[in-house]
Amino acid sequence: MIIRIEPESEVPIYMQLTNQIIEGIAKGAIHPGDALPSVRTLAADLGINMHTVNKSYHELEKKGIIEIVPKSGAVIKGHSHIEQSSYNRIYNMLKPQIAEGMVLGMTKDEILNLVEEIVNEIKKT
Amino acid sequence: MAFMISLIILLFLSTIQSVMPYFVKRTVVFGVSVPEQHIQDERIRAYKKQYTMLTIAVSFFMILIYSAWAAFKQPSDEAVIFIGTIIEFIIIFISLALFYYYRGKMKQYKRAEKWAQQLKQVAAADLTVHSEDSLPPWYIYLLPMIVTAGLMGYTIYQYDLLPQQIPTHWGLSGEPDAFTEKTPFTAIQMLLFLLLLQLMFLGIQLGMKFSGIKLSATNLSASKNRQLALRKSTSWFSFYTVLLITMLFSYFQLTTIHPDLFNYSLLKALIPFGVMFLILAGTAILMVIVGRSDKYPSESMEEGLMDASDDKYWKAGLFYFNKNDPSIFVEKRFGVGWTINFANPVGYLIIFGPLILILLIAFLFQW
Repeated sequence: MIIRIEPESEVPIYMQLTNQIIEGIAKGAIHPGDALPSVRTLAADLGINMHTVNKSYHELEKKGIIEIVPKSGAVIKGHSHIEQSSYNRIYNMLKPQIAEGMVLGMTKDEILNLVEEIVNEIKKT
Repeated sequence: MAFMISLIILLFLSTIQSVMPYFVKRTVVFGVSVPEQHIQDERIRAYKKQYTMLTIAVSFFMILIYSAWAAFKQPSDEAVIFIGTIIEFIIIFISLALFYYYRGKMKQYKRAEKWAQQLKQVAAADLTVHSEDSLPPWYIYLLPMIVTAGLMGYTIYQYDLLPQQIPTHWGLSGEPDAFTEKTPFTAIQMLLFLLLLQLMFLGIQLGMKFSGIKLSATNLSASKNRQLALRKSTSWFSFYTVLLITMLFSYFQLTTIHPDLFNYSLLKALIPFGVMFLILAGTAILMVIVGRSDKYPSESMEEGLMDASDDKYWKAGLFYFNKNDPSIFVEKRFGVGWTINFANPVGYLIIFGPLILILLIAFLFQW
């Protein structure tokens, strides 16, 4: 799987990295059980600071997406159903965004369509 | 003979210096990064061509003068080698001057074209590329090291056989021409240097493993090909060089203990030119393998992208200094091979540690 970082972007690099790894798992480009490269390796490949990669991995671990296993490194976790705490987190994250959409004139159907569109885009290829 | 050697080295050097722009990473021209979309620009191609033509002309002229001088003056072997070395430095210096001249022109062109403003800069990494990285295992270096250690043991064991004057330098013919007093230390001094050299190469090999595989976002497959080819070829080439140097030093050590050992052997005729020739040939092969690894046409690429410009980390276009990057070595910008990340102290340790130790030992035991 290819990671693309935009150093000039307003989005911090660690966040770009986190988002792309999550999307990569959602797409099926990398799978539960796969190990991510070590912090050092990925930082050297991208020519970025190790702290940046470390921060991203810690965030992924906090979200329950990867597990730091001694010796094997950062391993992607498998999930068959969503846990209540994760559900609440995503609920709270999406709520202001959906509210913003409503304020800007989106109807309920348009919002549902939007969600479907995003899911389809991720599932594609 | 001395002239032939100098001539071969000079021809080899000038050829390498002249064709260099065509063997470096495709997206870097005279140390200036160029977007994939523009590497075939008329102007850029003209600069590369001019550099090559000028370097060939200058080298050819220098070699001609050198040959004429050697032919008419009939100088001594030492003078031939000495002047030959000076000519080598002049050729390197002039090609470097030309490099900076065209680097200046490229920078101007790049500014005028405003690529950096028009294109989005992207850095790329492949999460699984390291599984395709096939470096030789570090422990193959144990083989030449064991040979060296064995020879040390053998030298101590045969200490009485050694002459009172231990050779420290060998001439072109492979015959010793400088000596030092025999002591248990000077007897194995050369092997000690060899061991340090082997350690340095082992360090380089390990450092390579801990250095990033840098991909180009606009041409993933070509850049991946080149990076993997570079890592594989240079690490095997290093090992090959270590084996040759080990053979050369072992030969010198054995002939010091047993002067008649190789009298009727082909080895005597082949060393040390054979070693020099094999290293030059290896260098040429390495250059062609790595230089060609990213030159075939690229697959379709995304519009509006360019590689994240790391020009700012390349001081004077040749020295990489990036505090963020944990890589110990990075691919050279003008040349085929590696250079150290000057912001990472581990690199200094690997390269300069053994060299300083060698100098220190040589210096301390002079008295």
